Amino acid sequence: MEIPSIKEGLIKNIQENLDSRTIKKLLRMVSFGPVLALYGSSIKSEVDRYLNIYTIKYLNEVYSEKFPIAYGSLFLPYELIIGLGLKPFLPEIMSGFTAGVGVAKKTIKAAADRWYSNDLCTFHRSAAGACEMGLFPKPSFIFCSNLACDAAGKSFQNFARKFNIEDNYYFIDVPHDNDEMSLKFLSSQLENIFYNVSEKLHAKQSKENLKKAINYSNSFRKFAIEANNLRKELFDYPQYFNGLNYILPFFGLSGTQECIDIYKKMRNELKYKLVRQDKNKKMKKILWMHLKPYFGNDIFNILEKNNIRVVFEETSNIFWEELDPDKPFESLAKKLLSNPLRGTGENRIKAMQQIAQDYGIDGIIMFSNWGCRQSNGLSRIIREEFNKKSIPVLILDGDCVDANNSPAGQIKTRVEGFAEILNSI
Amino acid sequence: MYTCGIDIGSVSTEALILDIDENNRYKILSYAVNKTGSDSKTAAEKSFQMALDEAGLTKNKINFIIATGYGRINVEFANKNITEISCHASGVTLLFPEVITIIDIGGQDSKVIKIDRTSKKPIDFLMNDKCAAGTGRFLEVMAKTLEISLENFGEIFLSTKEKVDITSTCTVFAESEIVSLIGKGVAKEKIIKGLIYYIADRIISMVSRVGLESPVCLTGGVAKNSGISSAIEEKLGVKLQIPFEPQITGALGAAWLAGKIRL
Repeated sequence: MEIPSIKEGLIKNIQENLDSRTIKKLLRMVSFGPVLALYGSSIKSEVDRYLNIYTIKYLNEVYSEKFPIAYGSLFLPYELIIGLGLKPFLPEIMSGFTAGVGVAKKTIKAAADRWYSNDLCTFHRSAAGACEMGLFPKPSFIFCSNLACDAAGKSFQNFARKFNIEDNYYFIDVPHDNDEMSLKFLSSQLENIFYNVSEKLHAKQSKENLKKAINYSNSFRKFAIEANNLRKELFDYPQYFNGLNYILPFFGLSGTQECIDIYKKMRNELKYKLVRQDKNKKMKKILWMHLKPYFGNDIFNILEKNNIRVVFEETSNIFWEELDPDKPFESLAKKLLSNPLRGTGENRIKAMQQIAQDYGIDGIIMFSNWGCRQSNGLSRIIREEFNKKSIPVLILDGDCVDANNSPAGQIKTRVEGFAEILNSI
Repeated sequence: MYTCGIDIGSVSTEALILDIDENNRYKILSYAVNKTGSDSKTAAEKSFQMALDEAGLTKNKINFIIATGYGRINVEFANKNITEISCHASGVTLLFPEVITIIDIGGQDSKVIKIDRTSKKPIDFLMNDKCAAGTGRFLEVMAKTLEISLENFGEIFLSTKEKVDITSTCTVFAESEIVSLIGKGVAKEKIIKGLIYYIADRIISMVSRVGLESPVCLTGGVAKNSGISSAIEEKLGVKLQIPFEPQITGALGAAWLAGKIRL
């Protein structure tokens, strides 16, 4: 079997045979061990290879109907969901996959056909369309929070209704302030949800499993911090390595052994690269804010060609303290409350300023995804604050999922223009 | 040293040849402007050849060629390509060294560029989003709908006192709005005045986002329209610097940067 053709074949099949049964069949076929090993061998980076292989296995599991599935929005305490023995399924991240395999046009259209407003961001629209088309596995539970993105709670309510599981829809209200009262309020919510779901599942060992998930999450955190520290000096990355590809493990799988394995491999590979890096090599350093387009695009190649490297992403920031396995609910509540996207924009600005200082950042690209108010609302202040420090900021308007709403030529000119400014042409 | 800059825009393609001496003094030997049409590659070759003929040079005499503009990647004979942001900044700085804010209104995009006072290099820019409102194309469509030549817009703007507000953002809807205004018997002159203010407002909104700092220069094909430049001057409250040939600043900057890179 020719190695590169597996990926293309898979994508073509998914594009042409858009029903969940075919997708399941395809995933089973490619997740067959030897085939995966072959597919993985065509990827240059060790950790990217592991991530890809793991993702296919993970998708195969969620489509296998052997596990109870929990839909979840991005900013949730996934340790809790994993501790309950549920398989997390993140529709927003799956939207990124719909863009990656080139079916977002169909899923977005399916959402439009069913009255989803064009004003809603395409992470939610594409997920809604995919769900309407029967491309997502049936969930047993749905969890949402209002942290950063308020829209998820509303969008996901449609899923609860569609699958007739409105009694199993849980909303976590993360308070605006980070104080004692908020902590108590949030901890008790998490505890109530945990025991309520645990009872529904008749899960006897759930508290022990939660403790285990917390310990796993701490191990992942440790490796991620080490990897992040290496990146303060690293320019010579594995080919195509991009921190924005690790959203699924970073958010949805924290609390699993696989997440530890991914970040351990990342730490090891980056360390290997750093030791061998040409010490005289210098590149301009970029901090990337928000997410990126998940369909094929040239942005990162343009930057590399211009001797510019994204050395850190907002989404790679380990902002929380180590979790206490003996106080799981309080720890997880603290984790949620310490997210810089909670509360006023000041929290986010301070976090980004600290990163800019720690990583010696030369410029910032903030991707402004259509319809994402929680991020775009702050773009003006972000620009002003960093311009005061003579750090140029490019607010790159586009779409993370819908290629038609993100014209390649315009994006190219803006990124190249920004690269020329950084390189003083 | 002979250098050439080629600027392939959505409407026109310009080629400009510079003679740069060892003391960095330059002389514009020639330039040519042609319609881009459907084949930007051919338009680039044609403009280049015309500029060569006018300068009395052959292709092999040109030491370095830089292509810019949206079609820059299609110019196979160029040694390098650089975005129109850097090239416009460079071209304007050559002509008006004091300019800080550049407004460029092209056929299909408009941009505002901020120049650093000390380094004379671009430090910030903003481009219009994926919409033709506020560009040369918008004006062309409206001129066709009104059946009045675009060249007359400037004079009409200056001689007409009243205007009607154009409210549609989209070019297609604005066209329908104009048809409906004509149907209601509104004088075309008033519509033209409204259209020009409408474009000026969109441009001024972009200038405000980048931050207005004088002196300000207006470039691009639309700068030839005295109505637009007057409306922008009126709204901004500053006198605009306009190059002798506002369409060639991108190609001039590209040719100048070609000299710097070649050295």
